[in-house]
Amino acid sequence: MSREIQEGIRVQARELLGLGEISCVIGYEQGPKGRVRPAFVYDQAGTDRLVWDQTCHHNLVVYLHDRRKGGKTSAASRVAVVARPCDVRALNVLIHEGQVSREEVFVIGVACPGMAEGATLQAHCQRCRERVPVFYDALVGEPARVKLPADDWSDVAELEGMTPAERLAFWSREFDRCIRCYACRQACPGCYCFECLAEQVDPAWVSIAHGLSQKAFFHVMRAYHLAGRCVECQACDQACPMHIPLSLLNRKIAKEVEALFNYKAGGDPEIPPPLATFLKDEELPL
Amino acid sequence: MTESFEPRIVGFLCNWCSYAGADMAGTSRIAYPPNIRIVRVPCSGRVDPLFVLKAFQEGADGVLVAGCHPGDCHYGDGNYHARRRYALMHSLLDYVGVDAGRLRIDWVSAAEGNRFAQVVAELTEQVRELGPWAGRQEREVAA
Repeated sequence: MSREIQEGIRVQARELLGLGEISCVIGYEQGPKGRVRPAFVYDQAGTDRLVWDQTCHHNLVVYLHDRRKGGKTSAASRVAVVARPCDVRALNVLIHEGQVSREEVFVIGVACPGMAEGATLQAHCQRCRERVPVFYDALVGEPARVKLPADDWSDVAELEGMTPAERLAFWSREFDRCIRCYACRQACPGCYCFECLAEQVDPAWVSIAHGLSQKAFFHVMRAYHLAGRCVECQACDQACPMHIPLSLLNRKIAKEVEALFNYKAGGDPEIPPPLATFLKDEELPL
Repeated sequence: MTESFEPRIVGFLCNWCSYAGADMAGTSRIAYPPNIRIVRVPCSGRVDPLFVLKAFQEGADGVLVAGCHPGDCHYGDGNYHARRRYALMHSLLDYVGVDAGRLRIDWVSAAEGNRFAQVVAELTEQVRELGPWAGRQEREVAA
């Protein structure tokens, strides 16, 4: 399965770079220490570097932010990006928000078998309901025939079952480990502000102090800023060196957004995001 | 300790309705608990949910956000946006351990002096029962 996808990506990359319509292919390569890492391939010779397996968990859509900042991938021509279904939803969010235009990205969609964690799949892949991206320019791999389970939000419900004091204790324990490296923010396709509130000095919303309350403030702020935008790719969880279950925060909001507004991030571009619109007669729990 | 506990409550009141409602309570000589510290804002839609988060971080025991009744916003739709934001923020705060009872979102019109006093009294009592907020900034503990 992975081999097929890898071969498909290489074939696509060679062809695209050969035609000269694409300046760069963003994919994965074998890094040191036996782990894959993001790769930027600019010529056909480099396409053999591209790999794909079930440990390719980076959401490569974040590198499209670079285009706005005049980074390496900002050439006038299009770039191609290897994207799983969740990555494509993230790309969809960026397109909705006018950060990237659809025309400048060639999506090499991966029919994703899920990301491995040991012998099984990562938790978010186990409950993932999409094996094929919502859109793509080329699809590699065969969509796996799996029974797609409904999301029962059991991880969120477990926390909801606690008392507020227990939840405070739980999150204090988790946030206390945070080293404020901002890896979660850097890995997140939804976090693209030029100046993050966490680094803004005037006004200084978030103190740079290393106390628990500042760390908690940063994470709650980030979760709230991703309300109705988080696509649950769990790039933040993967990036966190302290193993803080950040997606548990994002999933709580995703759950509420789905329950209250029947909205799922990264879907139909015709539906306005929940916090950009309102209904006059809606009844909301306040 | 709990006997002497006086809740500190931050109230974000919209200029056009709720602040005028508080004014009405004052000019009508309606007593309400002095625990509330009022911040006047142009509209409930101006109250970024981070204001509330910041208030809790800085040591508020409770927060009130009040604006015009839905349909009465001076700017047309500010309170509708606020309503959606706080529906999410309220549950998120509860989820990270800020008891839902510490935050109240309500609508108070300029004529509802009585209602303003009642909302503040209810929230103050509720927060008093919940006790001091434990998650505030550490420097408070050190001092």
